[in-house]
Amino acid sequence: MSNFTFKGGLVLENPFPAKEIDLIRIPLPDRVVLPMQQRIGDQAKPCVSVGDHVLTGQVIATIDDDRCAPVHASISGTVVAIDNQVMAHQSGLEALCVTIESDGEDEWMDNSVACTENYDFCTPDTIYNKIRLSGIVGMGGAGFPTHTKVQFAEGCHTLIVNATECEPGIMCDDALMQAYPTKVIRGVEVLLHICGAEKAIIAIEDDKKESIELLRKFCKNERITIEAIPTKYTSGAEKILVKSLLGIEIPSGGYASDVGVLCQNVGTLVAIFDAVVENRPLISRVVTITGSAIKEPKNLQVRLGASYDYVLSFADIEQGENDIRMAGMMMGVDLEGTNYSISKNTNCIFVNKPIEKPSAQECIRCGMCNTVCPVELLPQQLYWYSKSSNIEKALDYNLLDCIECGCCSHVCPSNIPLVDYYQFAKALNKQQTKEKEQTDNARERFEFREFRLERNKQERAEMMEAKKKALKEKMAKDKAQKIAIAAAQERVNAAKTAKESEDAR
Amino acid sequence: MQDKAMDTNQVMRQVIYALALGVAAQVYFFGFSVLVQIALAVITALAAEALVLRMRGMQIAPSLRDGSAVLTAVLLAIAIPSIAPWWIIVLGVLFAIVFGKQLFGGLGNNPFNPAMLGYAFLLISYPLQMTQWPSEFQGALAIFEFSGVDALTGATNLDYVKTQLMLGESIGALTFESISQMWINFGFLLGGIYLLLRRIVFWHIPLSLIAGLALMSSILYLIDPANFSSPVFHLINGATMLAAFFIATDPVSASTTPLGRLIYGFAIGAIIIVIRVFGGYPDAVAFAVLLMNITVPLIDYYTQPKVFGK
Amino acid sequence: MLDAVSILSILALALGLVLGYAAIRYKVEGNPLVDQIDAILPQTQCGQCDFPGCRPYAEAIASGEAEINQCPPGGQDGVDALAELLDVETLTLNAEHGETKPKRIAVVDEKVCIGCTLCIQACPVDAFVGSSKVMTQVIVSECTGCDLCLPVCPVDCIDMVEVKPTINTFVPNVLELANV
Repeated sequence: MSNFTFKGGLVLENPFPAKEIDLIRIPLPDRVVLPMQQRIGDQAKPCVSVGDHVLTGQVIATIDDDRCAPVHASISGTVVAIDNQVMAHQSGLEALCVTIESDGEDEWMDNSVACTENYDFCTPDTIYNKIRLSGIVGMGGAGFPTHTKVQFAEGCHTLIVNATECEPGIMCDDALMQAYPTKVIRGVEVLLHICGAEKAIIAIEDDKKESIELLRKFCKNERITIEAIPTKYTSGAEKILVKSLLGIEIPSGGYASDVGVLCQNVGTLVAIFDAVVENRPLISRVVTITGSAIKEPKNLQVRLGASYDYVLSFADIEQGENDIRMAGMMMGVDLEGTNYSISKNTNCIFVNKPIEKPSAQECIRCGMCNTVCPVELLPQQLYWYSKSSNIEKALDYNLLDCIECGCCSHVCPSNIPLVDYYQFAKALNKQQTKEKEQTDNARERFEFREFRLERNKQERAEMMEAKKKALKEKMAKDKAQKIAIAAAQERVNAAKTAKESEDAR
Repeated sequence: MQDKAMDTNQVMRQVIYALALGVAAQVYFFGFSVLVQIALAVITALAAEALVLRMRGMQIAPSLRDGSAVLTAVLLAIAIPSIAPWWIIVLGVLFAIVFGKQLFGGLGNNPFNPAMLGYAFLLISYPLQMTQWPSEFQGALAIFEFSGVDALTGATNLDYVKTQLMLGESIGALTFESISQMWINFGFLLGGIYLLLRRIVFWHIPLSLIAGLALMSSILYLIDPANFSSPVFHLINGATMLAAFFIATDPVSASTTPLGRLIYGFAIGAIIIVIRVFGGYPDAVAFAVLLMNITVPLIDYYTQPKVFGK
Repeated sequence: MLDAVSILSILALALGLVLGYAAIRYKVEGNPLVDQIDAILPQTQCGQCDFPGCRPYAEAIASGEAEINQCPPGGQDGVDALAELLDVETLTLNAEHGETKPKRIAVVDEKVCIGCTLCIQACPVDAFVGSSKVMTQVIVSECTGCDLCLPVCPVDCIDMVEVKPTINTFVPNVLELANV
C-alpha cells in the first residue's frame, strides 16, 4: 500500500493553530456586494435592475456559456447598485458587481421543489442541472464552475474528495467536516450518483484527526473510503493528490478528467448537498480568519458578498495597521485595505502584523527550489528566463506546468518572489499568444481584402472589356446589316430602274 | 523537506567558515603569509566591487554584505602560492572581480567561476611566480620581500613528478614527501563534509568530481604504473579537495540540475587528471572548472528532470 | 609554389560548384526578409507610415526605401526589433508619423449611424458589418484600431475606445518587482 506521499513539497506547521475548530455562524450583513466574475472564467450577466426587490436565493445573474456560474442573492432586500467595484485580486482591477441592501428579513425563495432525500429517484441530468443552476463553483480557491467540471469528467472511474486543506493556516474544510460530517458523506453519494464513478476517496491530511474519525463514523457506504494522507504542503494540489492516491500522473497540460478522475473540494460537496437535497443555491461559505494579528483564529459561516470589514469585526484583531492577505500564506494575494467582499472562493483571510519583507537578492542558482518543486521543474532556470521576458525559453523549461504553489519562493535563500515572476511570464505568454493570433488574423484579412479589391478591379476591367467587345461586334454586325440592306436597296433600285427602262422601252 | 534554512549571505559566510581548517593547515606548513594574502585579497575584492558598483550606479552596501566577493577573494588567495609577491594576488583579485564577475552583471550572472578566472589569468601571465611554493615555514611579511625568495622555494609534488618524469625517471624511483599537501587536502575535506551536513552544497558535484578524478587516474595507473601516479596521490595532492568542495560547487557557474551536477563534477575530475598528466601546467583545477563552466547551459538544457506529467 | 596554387584553385573551383549547386537547389521562393519584417509589424494596417498597409511598408524597408522608425502602433519596441532583425543602429520613433497609442477599437454610435457604408470601404481588415441604409457595426475581434474609419464618417458616429485590461488579461508588472 502506498503511503500517499510525493516528491518535493514542504512540511509546514500551521503557523496559528486554533484551540477549538468550531464553525461560527455570524449574523446577516446589512449589505452584500456580489461579483459577477469568479477568479477564472467569464462574467455572469445581471438579470435584475437597480431598485428591484430580491429574495434570498433568487437568481440575480444568469450565464450563457459553461465557463461561468450563475449568481444568487445571498440576502433578501433591494438591489441598490450594479456597477464596477475593486476585486480582491492582485491586479486591483474592477469588475461588475451587484450590491444588495438587506431588508433584515432573510426571506427565502420558495425552495420546496427539491430532489429531497430521495435524490436516487432523480435522473443524473436533473441533478446536474440543479448543480448548474445553483451557482456552485470550486470552493477550494480556483472558483471553476462545478457543473462544467462534472461534465468534463463524464465516464470517470474515481471521485476524489479533496479535504486536505490547501494550505497551512486554513481550517475552513476541517471546520466544515466537523460541523456537517453527514452532509459531506451525502454530498459524495449525490455526486457518485451522477458522475458514474465506482468509488470515492475522501483524502484528509493526517493532522485532522477529529474530522477523519467523524467521517469514518458516519460513512456507511462501502464505495467511499476515507484516507489519511501525510500533512505535507501541496498534497492538496489536484495533480499531486491524484498521483499520491492513485499513482496516476495527469499528463502535462491535461486535467484530472483526462485520466478518469473527478476531483472536488469538500466544501463544494456540501454545496452540492445543499443544492440538490435542500434546494438552496450557493449563498454562503466558511471563511477562516487567522494571522499574526488575530488573537484566536476562527471559522465563520458567512453569507457571500459580506464585506471584509464586517467579517473581520467578529474576530479579535490587535489594533494598529495590519496587512491583509486573501487565501493562504503560500498562494494567497496581498491586498490593499479591506474594501472587498467575500466571494465564492474566499477560503481564508489573513490579518498579519506588518513585517518587513527581506529584500530580494540575486539568484545564485543554489538549487534549493528544484528540490522542493512538487512538479519537478527547474525554478531557477524559469526565473532566469521569466525575468528577461524570454518566454520561448521559459516555455522550453515547462513554464506552463508550474502550479504556482510557492514552495520555491518559500525556500529561496535570496528571498526572490519566484512565483510572481512565473505569473508574469504566464500572463505575458497569454498576451503574446493572443496578440500573435490577432496580428496574423489582421494580416490575413488585409491580404484577402487586397486580393478582393484587385479581383474586383480585374473583374470590372474584364467586364468592361467584354462589354466593349460586344458593342463593337454589335456595331460591326449593324454595319454589315446596313451594308446588306443598302445592297439590297441597291439591287431593288437597280431592278426597279431596269424594269422602268424596260417598261419604257 | 524543511523550512528555509538560511539566506544567501549566511550561505556565503558558512562557506568561508568551512575553509578555516584547510587554511589553518596551510598556515601551519607555509606560514602566516597565507593570512596576509587572504587579507590583501579581501581588501582588494571589496574595493574593486565597490568601485565597479559605483560606476554601474548600483547600491554598494547590500552587494558587499552578501559575502560573495569575499569568498572569491579567499578562494583565490589560498589557491596561489603563499609566497607569491603581493601584487600577484591584488592583480588576480581585481581581474576576478571586475572581469570575472561585475562585467557580466555581478552576483548570479557570471558564467565563469571568478576565482578560477583570476587564477587562470595569473597562471598564464606570471607562470614563474605562480609555481613557486615555499618549502618551509614563512614569516608573515615574506610576500613583500623582493629579494632572496627563490632561495626558499621549491616546486610542488605535482610539479616535481612532472619534471622528473620528463627527465626520464619512473614514478617508483621518486621519493617525495606529501605531508603538507595531505594535511591541507584533509582540512578542506573536513570543511567540505561540514558543508554537506549543513546542506549548503549538494553531494552531487563533490562526489562525482572525486569519482571522475579517481576513475581517470586509476585507468592510467592500471595501464602503466611506472609512468602514471596513483589515484591516492592525485586525491591528496594539489587542490583536489578544495576544488571538489569549494570551487566546483560554486552554484552560480555550476550546472543546476541533479543529473547535470553529476556530469559536471565527473567531467571536471576527469579533465583535471588529463591536464595534470598530459598538460603543461602542474595543477589543472582552474582550467578544468572553466572548461566545464562553458558547457553548463548545454548540460542544463539536456538534463532537465522529467517534469510531472511529461 | 605551383602545388599551393593548384590546390587552392581546385579548392576554389570545388567550393564554387557546391555553392552554385546550393543556390539552385535551396533557392527560397519569395522574399523571406519582407516576411520577417512583416512579422514584426503590428498589422494595424493604419497607413501612418505613408504606405498603404504593413506589407507594403515591409517591402519598402526591405528595399531600403523607408526608414524603420515610421510605425507608431509598433512603438519604440517595434523599431528596436526591426533594428535588431536588420542589424542596423536603432532609431527613435519618427514623431511625424504620429505617436504610439494604447490598443483601441472602434465603436459605432448606433443612434447616429446613417448606414452610408463609407467606413466599410475604408476599413483595411473588413471589420465592419453593414449595408446601405442599415446601421453598421464593428466586429470587435477584427478591429485593429487603425483610425482609418474616422475621417470618412460623415456623421462622426465612430469612437475609438481604449481596450482596458481585465482580470483575465492582466499582466503583473514584474519589473516593478525586480526593483524592490
